[in-house]
Amino acid sequence: MMLISQLINGMVLGSVYALLSLGLTMIFGILGIVNFAQGELYMLGAYVGYFLIVVQKVPFLLALLISMLVMGVFGLLIERFPFRPIQGKADESMILATVGLSVFLMNGAILLFGADPRRVETPFSDVFVHLGTFSISMQRILVFTVTVVLIILLTFFIRKTRMGKAMRACQQDLNAARIVGIDTKRVSMVTCFIGSALAAAAGVLIAPLFLVTPVMGLKVIAKAFVIVILGGLGNVAGAIMGGFIIGIAENLTAGFISSDLKDIIPFTILILILLLRPEGIFGKQIPEKV
Amino acid sequence: METKTGFWKPVAMGILFLFALAIPLLTKNEYYLHTLIVGGIYILLVLGLNLILGYTGLLSLGHAAFYGIGAYTSALLVMVLHVPFWIALPVAGLVAGTAGLLLGFPALRLKGAYLVICTLAFVEIVHQVMMNWESLTRGPMGIPGVPSPVGFSFGSLVVDFSQKHTYYYLVLLIVSVVILLNYFLVRSRTGRALIAIREDQIAANMIGINLTFYKLLSFYCACFLAGIAGSLYVHYIGYVSPESFTLGESVNIVVMTILGGMGTIIGPILGALGLTFLLEFMRDLADYRLVLYGAILMIIIVVFPEGAVGLIRYLREGMKNRQAT
Repeated sequence: MMLISQLINGMVLGSVYALLSLGLTMIFGILGIVNFAQGELYMLGAYVGYFLIVVQKVPFLLALLISMLVMGVFGLLIERFPFRPIQGKADESMILATVGLSVFLMNGAILLFGADPRRVETPFSDVFVHLGTFSISMQRILVFTVTVVLIILLTFFIRKTRMGKAMRACQQDLNAARIVGIDTKRVSMVTCFIGSALAAAAGVLIAPLFLVTPVMGLKVIAKAFVIVILGGLGNVAGAIMGGFIIGIAENLTAGFISSDLKDIIPFTILILILLLRPEGIFGKQIPEKV
Repeated sequence: METKTGFWKPVAMGILFLFALAIPLLTKNEYYLHTLIVGGIYILLVLGLNLILGYTGLLSLGHAAFYGIGAYTSALLVMVLHVPFWIALPVAGLVAGTAGLLLGFPALRLKGAYLVICTLAFVEIVHQVMMNWESLTRGPMGIPGVPSPVGFSFGSLVVDFSQKHTYYYLVLLIVSVVILLNYFLVRSRTGRALIAIREDQIAANMIGINLTFYKLLSFYCACFLAGIAGSLYVHYIGYVSPESFTLGESVNIVVMTILGGMGTIIGPILGALGLTFLLEFMRDLADYRLVLYGAILMIIIVVFPEGAVGLIRYLREGMKNRQAT
């Protein structure tokens, strides 16, 4: 019984990890930037959700949509600065610029919203579905369902639309994509829009389960990196699988071994993966270019 | 031109050193001394990271972990095993260096984003161990009451390390020795091998440079220095807790290295002192401090990716061009 409830909790947490990591891996895949501010996009998304749901009394799903849109537009802004000017620069410049963005946004949030955690209540929080001997809150089911829907929509977008094809081309080879006439700037903008909207979705979905704080992004960003490596950098399907694997692994560790070890497990898995299969579990072997 | 710079550099360094020696005589302001001591400890951290990042071209976000390992090792040796500080100091360096090899073996086969994330994971692991191994580290409560190094006396001259100016001289001595060693290291055969790896790993390998050996060597030296810095820090502050050794601290060390201008010796030193003082002076801004820090960092990286040394070089070349026309 314990096993099943831990698995379900793992799936719920994994959904949020997957959404967060999807944006991270897409931005890396297309812009080549490791975005340390992805956690802050998730945090800001959660705050937008908080103001809509608690202050403006907007229904949960509508609030989720608005927050995704707002943060998507915010994604367009950060694509202009600092992403565009640092694209293709040295690794350390790209990383420090996004670290600067992350520090700026996190402390800006502390300044604007205060450091006190905010609680978000939704009508789904108190509704429980009983399955045999255990019960699960509607909110958790909702998190999982919305994630699945978003993933299906994203997959459809990437596989079937013209823009999706352009994105895949850019990921394979940015210069070649440019040569065949793909507007790579537009692709970058769409990627940042989607990446930050997905992070916002993760933030709004998790807000009723945990608390909304300015440092919530900092707490998950390192794990999101682990997930992205696990799935192979730039690999969309890998990020989704990685999210669920880490979410479940964390909950099983907390339930069966010790909750002290919960936060150490993802990083240990990462070091092992990097030792044994640096291209990620689902990644293809990348030949080193000379 | 060559001989001129060759002559002026040691002279300038000598004058700076004399100035550093005289600072406690010039000011009785304890706060400045405190900031300088902390700045000196950062110089050790940054010179270490500079070997990995600036000379070998590998970006590590793991430095806070080794700094922390050094700090805890030293505090525990002195407080639990009653080892004298003078032995605990080098041992902290050795333990941190060994931990560096432990991370180095898996990590140094990686490049770019993979290496960054792997070292980031290492910081998280070490942080979690400090938080959760409560029987040894007391977890989040930290270890208070770490003693200052035991002093000594020559007749009437009493050396007491709980005094700020005495500790300042201790840090100054160690920093000066490290700067000298660093200077000789990067000009040696080893230093040239590291630079060759930075410039072109495959070409370096082709001319017979053992990549693994030199990368591990630079990692070991860097982590050894971080361990020494950790020991100096903990016996100065007198308290150690996991909160001092987070990813944020690693980021600070990287920022100092890059803002000063990596791959030089003077650059990271400027970066360490500059950022320490900047962050101290910005304390008055309270909540706005880190918001500004983030914004400044972002803008500087976009505008001057080569740091202060790059900026000076740029200005100097600009002046030369003007003289030529």
